[in-house]
Amino acid sequence: MLTLDLAKPGSKVRIVNIDGKGWVQRLYQMGLLPGSIAEVVANYGVGPIVLRVMGSEVALGRGIARRIVVEEVKEG
Amino acid sequence: MKQITVAIAGQPNVGKSTLFNLLTGSRVLVANWPGVTVEKHEGFTEYKGYRIRFVDLPGVYGLSALTLEERISRSYILSGEADVLVALVDSTIPERTLYLPVQILEMFKKVVIVFTKYDLAHKLGLHVNLQHLEKRLGVPVVAVSARSGLGVSFLLDKIIEVAEHGGRGDYLRVDYGELEPFINSIESKLSGCGALAGYPLRWLSVRLLEGDAELARVVSEKCGSKIYEEVEEIRGEAKRVVGSDLAAVASSKRFAFITSITSESIVRLRLQQPTRSGSIFYHPLVGPALSILIVLSIFILAFIINTGFPLNVILSALGYRELAEEVEALSLSNLMSTSLGWLQELARSHIANPVLASFISDGVIGGVASILIFLPLIFMVMLILSIVEDTGLLPRMAVGVSTLTSRIGLSGNALFPITISMGCNVPGVFGARASLSSGERLRQILTLPLIPCQARLIVLLALATALKTLGGWLLVFLGYLTAFASFAVLNYIFYKLSREKEPVPEMLLEIPALHRPLGRVVWWMTWNNVKHFIAKAGTIIFASSIIIWALVSLTPGLTYTEDASASIAASLSRFLAPAVYPFQITGGKAWIIVFGLLMGLIAKEVFISSVITVSGSPSFTDAISSIGLSDPQIVAVGVFITLYMPCLATISAIYSETRSLKLTLLSIVLSITVAYAASTAIYYLILVL
Repeated sequence: MLTLDLAKPGSKVRIVNIDGKGWVQRLYQMGLLPGSIAEVVANYGVGPIVLRVMGSEVALGRGIARRIVVEEVKEG
Repeated sequence: MKQITVAIAGQPNVGKSTLFNLLTGSRVLVANWPGVTVEKHEGFTEYKGYRIRFVDLPGVYGLSALTLEERISRSYILSGEADVLVALVDSTIPERTLYLPVQILEMFKKVVIVFTKYDLAHKLGLHVNLQHLEKRLGVPVVAVSARSGLGVSFLLDKIIEVAEHGGRGDYLRVDYGELEPFINSIESKLSGCGALAGYPLRWLSVRLLEGDAELARVVSEKCGSKIYEEVEEIRGEAKRVVGSDLAAVASSKRFAFITSITSESIVRLRLQQPTRSGSIFYHPLVGPALSILIVLSIFILAFIINTGFPLNVILSALGYRELAEEVEALSLSNLMSTSLGWLQELARSHIANPVLASFISDGVIGGVASILIFLPLIFMVMLILSIVEDTGLLPRMAVGVSTLTSRIGLSGNALFPITISMGCNVPGVFGARASLSSGERLRQILTLPLIPCQARLIVLLALATALKTLGGWLLVFLGYLTAFASFAVLNYIFYKLSREKEPVPEMLLEIPALHRPLGRVVWWMTWNNVKHFIAKAGTIIFASSIIIWALVSLTPGLTYTEDASASIAASLSRFLAPAVYPFQITGGKAWIIVFGLLMGLIAKEVFISSVITVSGSPSFTDAISSIGLSDPQIVAVGVFITLYMPCLATISAIYSETRSLKLTLLSIVLSITVAYAASTAIYYLILVL
């Protein structure tokens, strides 16, 4: 388990928990909710993190990413 | 002829504008949604004896009343004004984009679902069994492609069919699993409230369970606080039993429902991933560099076409003086002012009455001219922006610059209004809507007028020609440098003052796949924005031109005068002459600069013509030297003009966006303060050096 801002680019993650108010509903609407699987397209350690979720790319600020707990999904 | 009202709903980037344009062509009305500044587009078409009115709902991801746009869409759907709702699905990402149509089907029965970008999805190897989807969703499902026009008349047939014979018999029921018992008990409480007749009660119950504050207010107003408290009690119980965020559970059930349908009706033949081109923008160094390079080259190109700058300066520096003059003469703003000057001359020589002649040529034609002068540039800026937006380049650039902009408290989305503001502050202020938080939006609205627009570039260039020893480039450079520096500093201060809880302004942005722009859509978006400018700013600019004409043509005794230096405006300027004392501009002719500054409020470039007129000089350079300005003073005036106050059109934009007199005044006071601070500092700095 780690927060999304620490996820490695190219890895696949499953969202475990999102902590926040208001804006979390926007994440839900975009398909980012507990249980859903996302691919980390870009994470350079600074600047936004780009995820691919349900076929579309979403850029998230690091502050938002820090509040999202994920676990890495091994490809198999 | 029978009229059908059709509302079009879809998530951002699903191709809603494209479809709307395809359905309505150019017959579009632009207005605002009642009481708010979100644009409302309406278009008409006639088909098989029906007059179909299309209402374009704002692009939203869902209907949770999370944003202003969601509230607008939701209350419009609930109002029952629409006979039919067309809900859009992006065929290339069907699972994600079905979320909104499913929410709509839970609260509205007469729906037609449209799969957009169907040809593109085919290319990616994605096939949709439309008949199966129709069976599962209970409403017509139509595939369209804007590029080929496929499916449009079929869609119109289905709209009429649904309008005439109805859609589903009941609302769509999504299985909410463990939430079901709580939904049912809320629904039975609500069914006891007669005031809610006509509301989709199950949908309402789900939303209340999810914690919808707006609907909770509706219920407590319509049904009294007792029912509301009972609902809250059930919600508390559900939270305890389910043990996680109820909104998250509800959303995941909706997605589970979507997956259960699509797994049966959507086949991916080749597993071809959509192209990943454009991810280069995500790199923390390449991204901002590339984004800024793109923005700069776009604007330098627009500048060259509009004023000849900086190509003329480069050419003359290389020794091609004639070519440079040619470039300048052929620039749009020059062509425009030449032809308008010719028109004014024509009016003056053909109207016998001198007062009327002056009113027509200086007041009316001059007023129209100050709107027209902006048009080519605004048109170009909007055209380029439409292309950048339609291709999907803009959101990538926003990601690219966000590391930079977050330092001054702005999200990457700010790139958009900042860039437009370099053309004209008016659409820039409107573009501040792209920001994520209302606090950031306000900071942008207050500070964007500091970004130098094209009008100020024109004044800077004119002042540059009047310099004796200093290089003209220095003036233009200093003007832009101080403007951007003040913009950054003010934003930083405001951001620190606002003490928001978030450490950095957050970005939450969908990045659509890159694609080729569609000429028709780009043109349509451009033209719409230009019309918006003419309607919003044009009327104010025109009206103020007439008022200014009166101030310049009437003496304090209210008689007509051709001598502007005897006018009301001149007396006012003489009174306000101390305004330029900080730059040590004193003496008998100091008021001319003040006069120019006053006139420059209409539009900054009016500074040039008004200074020429009242000084009675043949050219701007002569006018400046007749006033006796030194080089440092010219630079100080240039910097001051760049910052001193938003023009009338921008002020009106600020007011219409904030709807607050206080904030509008604040922006004026702020810019005057910044202007004095920056220009006196630069003046003394140059003197010392």
